[in-house]
Amino acid sequence: MPSDTVGNGALVPLTGDPPAVYPLHHGLAPPICRLSISWSRGNTLHLSLFSSTAAKVVEVKLTSEDQEIPDAHWRRIAYGSVAPFALLQSRRSSLSALLKTPSPYHSDWWENVLQYSKEIGSLLGGSKLPPSPIIEDSKTIVKRDEEPTSLKAAWELIEIFYVDKQSQSWLPERLVDWLTDYDSLFTSTHETIHGKLVDFQKELVNIQVIEDDSRYWELLSSALSVGWLDIVVKMLRLHGSYQLDQLSKRELENGLVETVATVISKMPRLRPESVGKLGEFYKSKADFIKCWEKWRSQITKLDCSPFWIQCDNQQTVDGLRNLLQIMLGNTDSLCMATCFWIELYISHFLYIRPFTMGIESMSNLAQKCIQLKPQSNTHRLAGLMVGILEENTEVVLAECSREFGPWLVAHAIELLTAGSEQAEVLLHEERYNLGGISIVELHRLVYAQILSSHALTWQIAPIYLSSCVKQGMGLLENLLYRQSVQHNNVLLKNIEICRLYELDGISSNIMKIAGVYHWKHGHKGAGVFWLQQAQDSSCLDRIAQQLFDSVGKSISDESFKQWEGMIELLGSESKPAGGLEFLHKYRDFKKSLQKVSGGKSTELARQAVGSLMLLMKNPSTPQRFWLPLLYDSLKLLNWKDCPILGVSETNLLLNKLQDLSLAKLRPYYTEPSLPPDALSSIRLALATNLGRAILDE
Amino acid sequence: MAKEILTLDNATTCTSWNISGTRLASASADGTLSIFDSRDPSSSSLRSTFKSRVLEGNIVKIVWVPPEYGDAVACISADGIVSLWEEVAEDSQSLQWKMCKSFGNSSGKVLDVQFGISSTSLKMVAAYSDGNVRVFELLDPLELRNWQLQAEFQNVIESVSAFGKASCLSASISWNVQKGGSQESSFLIGFNSNTSELNSSKVWEFDQAHQRWLPVAELALPEDRGDQVYAVAWAPNIGRPYEIIAVATHKGLAIWHLGLNPDHDGRLPVERVALLSGHQGMVWQMEWDMSGMTLATTGQDGMVRLWQSNLNGVWHQQAAFEPTS
Repeated sequence: MPSDTVGNGALVPLTGDPPAVYPLHHGLAPPICRLSISWSRGNTLHLSLFSSTAAKVVEVKLTSEDQEIPDAHWRRIAYGSVAPFALLQSRRSSLSALLKTPSPYHSDWWENVLQYSKEIGSLLGGSKLPPSPIIEDSKTIVKRDEEPTSLKAAWELIEIFYVDKQSQSWLPERLVDWLTDYDSLFTSTHETIHGKLVDFQKELVNIQVIEDDSRYWELLSSALSVGWLDIVVKMLRLHGSYQLDQLSKRELENGLVETVATVISKMPRLRPESVGKLGEFYKSKADFIKCWEKWRSQITKLDCSPFWIQCDNQQTVDGLRNLLQIMLGNTDSLCMATCFWIELYISHFLYIRPFTMGIESMSNLAQKCIQLKPQSNTHRLAGLMVGILEENTEVVLAECSREFGPWLVAHAIELLTAGSEQAEVLLHEERYNLGGISIVELHRLVYAQILSSHALTWQIAPIYLSSCVKQGMGLLENLLYRQSVQHNNVLLKNIEICRLYELDGISSNIMKIAGVYHWKHGHKGAGVFWLQQAQDSSCLDRIAQQLFDSVGKSISDESFKQWEGMIELLGSESKPAGGLEFLHKYRDFKKSLQKVSGGKSTELARQAVGSLMLLMKNPSTPQRFWLPLLYDSLKLLNWKDCPILGVSETNLLLNKLQDLSLAKLRPYYTEPSLPPDALSSIRLALATNLGRAILDE
Repeated sequence: MAKEILTLDNATTCTSWNISGTRLASASADGTLSIFDSRDPSSSSLRSTFKSRVLEGNIVKIVWVPPEYGDAVACISADGIVSLWEEVAEDSQSLQWKMCKSFGNSSGKVLDVQFGISSTSLKMVAAYSDGNVRVFELLDPLELRNWQLQAEFQNVIESVSAFGKASCLSASISWNVQKGGSQESSFLIGFNSNTSELNSSKVWEFDQAHQRWLPVAELALPEDRGDQVYAVAWAPNIGRPYEIIAVATHKGLAIWHLGLNPDHDGRLPVERVALLSGHQGMVWQMEWDMSGMTLATTGQDGMVRLWQSNLNGVWHQQAAFEPTS
C-alpha cells in the first residue's frame, strides 16, 4: 500500500478524480477466481482470495494515520488527546447549561479552546527547550532540537489563525516563528532555505575563504529574508575579516560587516519579548512604527555611505548591500532570496508590509506570492495554509482529512469553531444527507471507528462516541456487540462501558451471548450466571426444563448430586425466573426425602410432606412432573406409624391426579418414564392415606 | 497495510468470519468444514481448531448463526442442502462441532440462508431454487435442533400473479439487524431467476397482528422490475431517519433510501439515490461496515471496491483494491 491512506475518513471528495486503485499483493498464482469480503471491527476489512492452487486470507486496515508518525507514537497521541478532548466537551456542556443557549460561545470561550489546543499540541512533540548557555561550536549554523512533524505544524497553524486571540495583533510574527520551526518539513517536496543551510553547513569545514563563496552571500540573504536574524549575524561573524591576522588589513571591510550585523540585530519587531531572539521588540503598534521608520532611514543612509566605494573586496560589498536591499524590502531581492511561496510570503510580512493586518489582504498577498513562485508539487501544509487564508472552513477540513487523517479532523474541528459563529453554524448544522448529523459528529464517528479497529485503542472510542448526540450510541452498540465474549476481561470491560453509558439493552444482549457461550461450551455455572444477569427468562426456563428432563425420576437416582450443584449455582437470592423457583423447591423436597429414606423420624417425614405440598400447590410446577413427584413420595403416603398427610392435603393430591388423567386426553401429553404400575400404586397409597387420615381426624 | 493472516488449501471454496472477527470458518469442494480461531482478542493470527467432512459435495457458502444462539454455522452445498453445525460440550464431554439440523432438498435447492432475530426468537430465511422463500423459527433458544416452518411464500408483491415454473440461479437475503426490538423484524430478498416477477428485491416485514410476512417495499424502478438481482445488503442503521439498502443488478449498484413510516397502504416509501457503475459484470458480494457509511463490494472484475456518500449525499467510489501477485 502506498503511504497515502485509503479512505482516510475523507468523506469529502475534493475533485472529480477517479478513485484511487491500490494493489493488493497476495502471492497466489493467478488467476484469482473468487474474492470474498468481511468487515471486522472499525475500518478493518478481511479479504479472502481464492485461486486454483490455494486461498489466502488477508486483513486490510483501511485507515492508517499519517505515515510520518510511528504506530506506537500514534497510540500515545490517541490516548493523550482523550483527556483534553473530554475536558473541553464537559466545559462546553456545563457552559451551555449555564447560559441556557444552544451556542455556548461567549467572548472567553476561546481561552478554553486555547488551553485544549496547547495540551494537544504538546502531545505532538515536546516543547522547545530554551537555547542552551553552553559554548557552542561556532561553525554550527542550524540547530535541530527535535524532528518536527507536519502534524504538529498543521496543528499550530490552525491554532495561530483560529484560536489564539491574544496574538492576533502579531499574527505575521507568529507565522515567521512557525516557518522557522517547520521550514525543514517542506524540504521533502522542494528546495527550502533550511535545506540549503543544512547542505552548506556540511561543506563549511572544507571552505577556506568563506566570503569568496557565492553561496555564503546567497544564504545570508535567504536567511535574512525569512527573519532568521541570529543565523545571519552568526554567519556574518564567520566573515574572514574577523580573523585576527586579517583584522588590521581589512579594517574598513570588517567595519562594514559589523555595521550591517548590528543593524540586523536591531531590527524592530512587533511582538512580545522572546528570549534568545535578536531584534528590538515592541508590543505597541505606535512605538513599533516609529522605530521601524527610524531603522529604515538608518539603512537608507548606510546604503548611501561613501565607505562602500572605499572597500576593495567587491564580493563583500555586493553581498552586504544585497542584505540592505532585503531589509529595505526590495521585491526582486526577496524573490531571489526565497525558495518557495511561503518563504516569500513571510519575507513580505517582515520587510514590505510589516503592518499588514486583516485576513483578506493576507489572502491576496498569498495569491501574489504563489504566482511569483509557482510550484509543480504542493506540500500538504501549503494546501492547508491556502485553505485557511481563503477562509474556507470546508476546504480546511477536507485538507486536514485528506492529508492528515481523521485524528486531526476530529480534534482540530474544535479549533475551527472557536472564533467564528459562521463556522459554528456550518459545522454543527444537522444535515439530512449525512443521516441527520452534523459535520462535527460525522468526523467524530469516523475517528471513533478508526479507534475501534485496533485492540489497543477501541476502549477510548466510547469517549468520542458519547459526544455524538445523534448516532454515537448507535455506533457504540454496534462496536460492543462485535466484541468477543470469550475473554472475561473484555466481557467485563464491555459491561462496564454499557453501565457507564446506560446501554441496558445491549448490556443484557452481551450478557446473554456470554451466557449461551458458556452454557454451550460446558461451563454451565458461568452460563447460568450470565443468563441470570441478562434476565433472560426464556433461556433460564429452558435450562430449568433441561434440568427437569435430566434429573430425578426416582429418589435413588444418582444424578441428584449433579443437578443439586447446578441449583446451588442458580443461587437462592437471585430472582427466581419461572422454572428456577420450582427447581429450588424441588431441590428442598429431594433433600428432605433423602433424609427420610431409611429413617423412621416422623418429624422429618412431615417436613418432606411440607415440601411436597409446596411443590404441588405451586402453579409453576410443570404438570408432567406431578406423577414423578407423587411416585417419589410413595414412602410418605404409606408412612407406617401414622398418616402424615391430612384429609385436605390428600384431597388436593387426589385432585391433581384427576387433572392429570384429563390432561392425558390432550395432544402433546408426554408419559413420564415411570414403572407401569406407578399410577395405580399412587392411587392406592392416596386412597389408603385418605382413609387413615379421616379415621385419625 | 494488507497483512496476510492465513493460507488455505486449494480446494477451499468459501470463508466466513463470525461477528466479532475472531473465528473464521472455511469450507472446501469436498464438503470439509474448517474452523480457525484467533489466539487472543488482540492478535489476528489464527490456528485451526476443527476440520471435518460435514456434507456430501461442494460447500458454496457458510453463514454464522447470531452469537445469541451459540457458535454455529450453516453450510450450504452446491446441491442445495443446508447443514447446521454447532460447537457444544455435551454431558461433560469435550468441546465438539456437531451437526444439529439439515434442511433437505425435497422441494428445490436452497440458494441462500440468513439468520435474523425477531421478537426474541431466531428466524432463518431460506431462498429456494424454485423461487420459494421459507422462514423457519427456532423453538428452543438453547437447542438448534428444533426448527419449525413459520411461513412459506414467493417473492412477489401480488400473490395472485401466475407464472410458470421458476428456475433460480441465485438469491440474496439481508436482514435488517436491530438491537432495540421496537420495530417489526424485516428482511430483504432478491432473486436471479428466469421469472421476472420474482427477481426484484423486496422488503418483507412480519405483521404481528395477522402473524404473516408482508411485502412492504419493492426496490426497483418500474422499468427495472424484471432485472436479475445479484446481491443485496441492508446497511446497519445507527440513527439515520431512513434505512439505506444496496442492490446490485446488471445495470449497476443501486443505493436506496427506505423510509421508516409506512403510507396508508402499509408500504414504506423508497427512493433510489444513486446508480453506480464500477464492477464489470456480476457483483458477487456486498457488505456494509459497522456504521453503515462504507459499502464494500466484490465482483466478476476481480476487484474490491469501496463506496461512500459525500457531504452532499452524492455516492461515489472511494477506493478500489486490485489483487496482484
